[in-house]
Amino acid sequence: MKRLRALFLLPAWAFTLLLFLGPMLIIVAYSFQSKGIYGGVVEPWTLENYTRLFDPLYGVILLRSFVMAGAATAGCIVLAFPLALYIARSGTRKSLLLNLVMLPFWTSFLVRTYAWMFLLRDTGLLNSALLALGLIAEPLPLLYNDWAVIVGLIYGYLPFAVLPLYSNLERLDKSLFEAAADLGAKPWEAILHVILPLTAPGMRAAGVLVFIPCLGAYLTPDLLGGGKSMMIGNLVQNQFTSARDWPFGSALSLALMAIVMLLLWALLRRDGEELL
Amino acid sequence: MGDLQLEEIYKDFPSHRVVDGISLSIPQGCFYSLLGPSGCGKTTTLRMIAGFDEPDRGLIKLGGRTLNGLRPYQRPVTTVFQSYALFPHLTAAENIAFGLKRKGDPDTARKVTEALDLVQLTTKADRLPAQMSGGERQRTALARALVLEPEVLLLDEPLSALDPKLRKQMRLELKELQSRVGITFLFITHDQEEALSLSDRIAVMHKGRLEQIGTPQEIYLSPATRFVAGFLGAVNWVGPVGVRPEMTRISREAPGNGARVVEATVNSAMFLGDCFQVETRTSAGDSIIAQIAHGLGEFQRGERVHVWWHPQDEIAIPQ
Repeated sequence: MKRLRALFLLPAWAFTLLLFLGPMLIIVAYSFQSKGIYGGVVEPWTLENYTRLFDPLYGVILLRSFVMAGAATAGCIVLAFPLALYIARSGTRKSLLLNLVMLPFWTSFLVRTYAWMFLLRDTGLLNSALLALGLIAEPLPLLYNDWAVIVGLIYGYLPFAVLPLYSNLERLDKSLFEAAADLGAKPWEAILHVILPLTAPGMRAAGVLVFIPCLGAYLTPDLLGGGKSMMIGNLVQNQFTSARDWPFGSALSLALMAIVMLLLWALLRRDGEELL
Repeated sequence: MGDLQLEEIYKDFPSHRVVDGISLSIPQGCFYSLLGPSGCGKTTTLRMIAGFDEPDRGLIKLGGRTLNGLRPYQRPVTTVFQSYALFPHLTAAENIAFGLKRKGDPDTARKVTEALDLVQLTTKADRLPAQMSGGERQRTALARALVLEPEVLLLDEPLSALDPKLRKQMRLELKELQSRVGITFLFITHDQEEALSLSDRIAVMHKGRLEQIGTPQEIYLSPATRFVAGFLGAVNWVGPVGVRPEMTRISREAPGNGARVVEATVNSAMFLGDCFQVETRTSAGDSIIAQIAHGLGEFQRGERVHVWWHPQDEIAIPQ
């Protein structure tokens, strides 16, 4: 029986080793080599790619990425909390509402990001409507800036914040809300003093699930930021495309991974198995 | 302050009527029990008094003031929940302080200290609910509700989550506590022993209606309906009259004058520790159970005996 159980693990192990760990090791190897003239990597082996990481230019981009991802995460949680609370208290309509939250996943992220471009650009839906209503004289610069990127990130990752918050709120004993009211707490006091503190694990899970992909995002800043709003993901992408500097791109992505793992470790240390 | 009054309360759930025209008057300072089997509507009645549910019809009044329509946080009543519903992120002291802080009570610290002392939890003040025993949680829930000095304390089967031994001890503490604080207690239970031992008055509920209201003695000794008689304890029904097993005697010889006697055959005899339980069958096929003290004889299966009792111990249901 024990041997049979081990056998069940085999496909997943094979898959992980071959398709995840393998490329990982290649990236690690790349990061210690020099760039070829037309891309690819050549000898000699070097540490230069890592020392370059400390160039202030890249530090600024990393910091920007943190700020943008942080803003998007905060936005997601602020929007997701009331929504999750509403769904958790919706009785029989819960699964319908949850499916609606997941609905965007039915179409490609790329297509949906293009849709945002149509919404936000100068001749887009929003500006046209505001112009037609006479509320503005000329189009607002809604697209190709940091705000557009943050809005796009919030839109893209909102479901990842709703789901953990929902499952947290759903598990809370309903009598806790009643007890709060019974002891004189008005609804907003019950939310502030009982529900919010008890949702901390869900908030942390939501934060991690949104922050990590936002930090590495490249599609949204590329399309909605219009190249003016570079994040670390775009930098990595550039190294593998136009800059043809695969070794530095590898070092960058490994550095990003290290930062994310450090963050996760710090959070997991705090509330152990509760997260995810 | 004043009496709690329910006037013609009705409550329908989608599938059926849960509370079917209940009227009650609960005197101030009384330990009042609402006793009934699960599904009889007693918890719904409590929830309507607390304000978690609204009655479809009828009035809830406290000291002449109508509570209908008031939100739970506006009502001068507090609740001890069956699950206690302690806030898991707050310590015992913080749980007890919760209501006082919402009111902005300037005396919060002193009142919390006194409440902890009242329920003997002073040394456990900084424990989280997860670090407390069942009895400690129960006492925290009690203190949290009592510290607000409500006009009525609602208790929803507060002892049912405790193990039997602790339950008996908490029963004593609860009774003691109520006489000390003098607050009206409305105690919801399905346990007749709890209701009998704790209450000044008991209202027995069945299928959303009140079957009988009275003192524990009245309810037990003079039940108004067959349901009440049977719910409060075992009854042997012999035709229209009933008699409780502990009032039933068995002897080999015919008893003296004045006793009601039935001849029967012993079917089984069981030793229960504090007594023997002897089950007999009459020639008519009725089963009569007697609980008899030690030393009143031992009976064998198949023995012909006289089953008898005193007429004053009979339960006569008014027709």
